[in-house]
Amino acid sequence: MSRTPMMDKLVLRTTDRHLPFSVHLDLTYRCNERCVHCYLDHEDYGEMNTAEMKSVLDQLAAAGTLFLTLSGGEIFLRQDFFDLLEHARKLHFDISLKTNALLITPARAQRLKSLGVRKIQVSIYSGDPAIHDGITLVPGSLERSLEAIRYVKSQGMVVTLACPLMKQNLGAFRSVIALAEEMNVPYVMDMTITPMIDGNHKTVDHRVALSDLLPVLSDAKLNPKIGIAPTLSAGDSAVSSGMPLPEGGDDICCSAGHNTCYISPYGEVFPCVQLPVGTGNVRTQKFEDIWYHSPEMERISSIREAQLAHCGTCSIRPYCERCPGLALMEGGDIMGAYQRACELAEMNARLAGVPNPISAMHAHRASTGASNAQVFHPAQTKLVAIAPLRTN
Amino acid sequence: MSFDAARTVKSEALLPNPLLAWREIDGAIVIISPEDSVVHELNPTASFIWKQLNSNHSTGEIAQQLADEFEVSRETALADTKELLESLAGMRLLCAADRRKGSVHV
Repeated sequence: MSRTPMMDKLVLRTTDRHLPFSVHLDLTYRCNERCVHCYLDHEDYGEMNTAEMKSVLDQLAAAGTLFLTLSGGEIFLRQDFFDLLEHARKLHFDISLKTNALLITPARAQRLKSLGVRKIQVSIYSGDPAIHDGITLVPGSLERSLEAIRYVKSQGMVVTLACPLMKQNLGAFRSVIALAEEMNVPYVMDMTITPMIDGNHKTVDHRVALSDLLPVLSDAKLNPKIGIAPTLSAGDSAVSSGMPLPEGGDDICCSAGHNTCYISPYGEVFPCVQLPVGTGNVRTQKFEDIWYHSPEMERISSIREAQLAHCGTCSIRPYCERCPGLALMEGGDIMGAYQRACELAEMNARLAGVPNPISAMHAHRASTGASNAQVFHPAQTKLVAIAPLRTN
Repeated sequence: MSFDAARTVKSEALLPNPLLAWREIDGAIVIISPEDSVVHELNPTASFIWKQLNSNHSTGEIAQQLADEFEVSRETALADTKELLESLAGMRLLCAADRRKGSVHV
């Protein structure tokens, strides 16, 4: 949803009232691609069955959720996908999908349209099949995804190309922009590659070194902040479905736990797909009990920017896209700063013309002689505590 | 049209477009059309009428309930209701009842 004064007002109001305005629901972690950077474990450890998923949708509608993002894994691998979609339609959600689109046929695209799906985000890593297919590990996947995008677009739905940038496709980001422009669709580039949900950090090896990101950060199309003083807001993401916060709201870090949350295929409720703090499980608890009364959710939603040890006083904070989840996964402290965000903020500030920018954390480390080396905290990075609950 | 006459005219002809996303947010109805991604927020009176539309009430019944709820005359309530329905229909937020039945194909 694009930013408008009315949307800004709604985001502020739902944040203020702590209403679950936008929810990201993963229907499955199973997938028909094997993307090298993916943070998911594609085994099925007992996904919620159709009745459980419908109950979740019922509870979200009753709680006031308007924006519903259905994602995965690959959503079309669920045999009951259209059954769930029909149920969501009857509950009047604004429905967005995230998919690789491999299983979208013309008939399915028509059905998506008839069920009121408004927006579909498709992962495209490059305009070069060798690069795209080399990331998905599925030969022919780029061609199939692009064909499906044309089916969806012909139905009048909004399609966005999502391109996580990693070592394999960094040099090809302009080919994705060219594809998007040729197809007349929006695109989002995302430099975030997270550890896996089981705590494994092998995916992080695919991250681009910050020094190599300069061509991306220097591209005026991708980084409109160049040379101007930016406003502080969460950027678009290929992973997170959080809502960008408008100015004038409370002093909060992001929308996670305030008016958005994430629900896994196993029923675990998290403040965000990128914030691995379990707050409850809809298999054993009512969603509203979790949303309004979980101590963990209350703790997350009570955090204010001013409380952040370094970031709260950082002079280049407006150039930073700090994520609380990544702060936890990469720095070990949801209230803390983390290396990559600080370095990216310094690069962005430098590009905007700030002389000798240095983050508050780096300044502190310089004053104490501490190292700036990246240290991961694997004990904090387990996103989903999977307990086999085979109810299907 | 008099209010009493309106009571006999059913509003089945116009019902909320089933493809719309909508929710009551903090007392106000918020509507999003998947066709154009436009967000509409209804004021308290319009929100009240929207909820009645979803309960299959006639225009006259809605106007009567509006008059009772907001303490306005029945004539004023009817005029406001008709004006809103025309406005919503003009924005394609309402559609014909027979079309509505056939809109969702699963």
